Amino acid sequence: MYKLLFGCLIIFPLLLSNMTSVKVEQFDKSEIDHFPIAWILKELGNPVPSHYMDKYDEDKALIGESLICSGYAMRDGKKSKRISPYFVCTDCHNLVPEFDKLNGQDPEDRLDNSIDKGIPFMPGSTFYGIYNRMTFYNGDYVRKYGDAVINARDTLNNAVQVCAKFCSAGRYLEDWELEAIMHWFKKNELHMSDLELTPNQKKNLLKYQQLDANEKQELSTVINDQLVGGYDATFLPAMPREERKYGEGGDAKRGEVIYEKSCLHCHLNKRVTYMHLDHDKLSARMFWRNRKNYSDKSLYQIIRYGTYSKKGRQQYMPLYTKEKMSDKQLNDLFAYIKELAGK
Amino acid sequence: MKKLLIIGILFAGNIHAQEVMETFSGTRILNGHSTETLQKRVMQFRIEHRFGDVAGDNGGVQQWFGFDQAADIRFAFEYGITDDLMVGIGRSKGTGAPYRSLLDGFAKYRILKQNASGMPLSLTFVGSSTFTYMTKSEDLTQIQSFPKVSHRFAYSTQLIAARKFGERLSIAVMPSYVHRNLVETDDVNGLFALGGAANFKIAKEFGLIAEYYHTFHSEDVRTTNYNSLSFGFEWITNGHNFKIVCTNARGFNETQFIPYTYSNWADGEFRLGFSITRNFKL
Repeated sequence: MYKLLFGCLIIFPLLLSNMTSVKVEQFDKSEIDHFPIAWILKELGNPVPSHYMDKYDEDKALIGESLICSGYAMRDGKKSKRISPYFVCTDCHNLVPEFDKLNGQDPEDRLDNSIDKGIPFMPGSTFYGIYNRMTFYNGDYVRKYGDAVINARDTLNNAVQVCAKFCSAGRYLEDWELEAIMHWFKKNELHMSDLELTPNQKKNLLKYQQLDANEKQELSTVINDQLVGGYDATFLPAMPREERKYGEGGDAKRGEVIYEKSCLHCHLNKRVTYMHLDHDKLSARMFWRNRKNYSDKSLYQIIRYGTYSKKGRQQYMPLYTKEKMSDKQLNDLFAYIKELAGK
Repeated sequence: MKKLLIIGILFAGNIHAQEVMETFSGTRILNGHSTETLQKRVMQFRIEHRFGDVAGDNGGVQQWFGFDQAADIRFAFEYGITDDLMVGIGRSKGTGAPYRSLLDGFAKYRILKQNASGMPLSLTFVGSSTFTYMTKSEDLTQIQSFPKVSHRFAYSTQLIAARKFGERLSIAVMPSYVHRNLVETDDVNGLFALGGAANFKIAKEFGLIAEYYHTFHSEDVRTTNYNSLSFGFEWITNGHNFKIVCTNARGFNETQFIPYTYSNWADGEFRLGFSITRNFKL
């Protein structure tokens, strides 16, 4: 009897704490726009990714948000150890859509969106919809981070760990940190309202339980075609000297936007790096002077290779893949540098 | 989505676009402090060196223009507590005139920062102290006899005001006060000085620098002392700052180069030196 009472005393508060903090997925199943995409794909018989979860915990998601945006979180009244002394996730990743369409990958569209939304134009892919992606560190990323990305390519949890340890030159996340970030991803997953569906498709989805296998497959294809399973990543070499246009024919106005939203996002006032850049002639002339070089001060090299983290200098610059900044955009950037340098 | 956008933009960067940056390219102008402070959580390791006289009685080809000698050497660790407050500790060899084996510490706070929207200059306060742990002399006529432990201490306070004019030129004035607890009979314990400095950027990574400290005292005292006058060239890379200095001062720290400069430029008693810094983010 005493054991039972003691057991209840222990278990009841635990249950209560769970009941108060866990938010069960409470979407309106009569309103198609509220359907989480991952959930409906599961119901339609699609395989679920390893990071799939039925519900998220609001408190954990808030901790995840703090880890993503600040690099640390308050836990039990104490500030946790920073994930990285150098970077936080938002130094390289936006949190909002970067394209009009979910499966967009065109760098020009990405820049237009960056202008419209007033968000940075960064080397990393957005976290928006990351919960609904199936592959990570695609394409050439193995060239930068080696074997570390092999187990991260199909597993979001592993991808987050690679990012924390290698990309941000920090440390592996503790279990509670990784869990909190995954809960934030889940909280911000894609819903049917993010898709463009015909009224008939919506009507069919509402009665998904009554559909036959073919109809389910057809709807799954409609949904999956609008999603990006993983972003491509093509590493380009530093452009050969004879192919460089040095801004000739480039759009200096768009170049200024790229300079502002890419270069200055980290370099203005030494926010992330030790090198300060600004809309000043000296900065522009440094890049102009090195335009023909194959060195870190040549935009043609630094944008395509970045720098590498190494002992004694772990802070580094990530590179822009072809998908994140096109050669045309690089020329636009140079057109602005040329104009700013007065050349 | 709106919330995500707001969060994203808020954390995208804490940008103070109007601040005037890099009035000077490091926390030191040449010998003395600048208005700059280290960023929060940045630790800087400094190596500073002054060679012997280039010319004059102690220089020339026999001393390979000073490279055979080391007038002073300093190693230091400095740290940014906030973006405007930093502290540092260091150890220097000491010139022997009069001290050797010095430990130093300082705190530095930037009170004002020049910006494009009205603040015309940057203003920084520096308080520093040095302590010599050299073996005391038995000769009580020497200040190295250190009758009390407190005689091993010296202090300085400075208020540094600087303004950057355009992209290339920065000017600073440095009203300074140095106090030494024990001095020679022809010296003064409290010494006022006014420093002046200029930095001209040749390019983003290169600059030319001049720095001068004028001491104020009665003509009857300090008859063998000179004022510190230095010229320098700097080279900045991402995380490093190299300075090559030509100066008549031998020692480091305001408690040394302001009151204890005995070398005269006109007699060829100037020397080359350098400082290298490396930043680490903690």
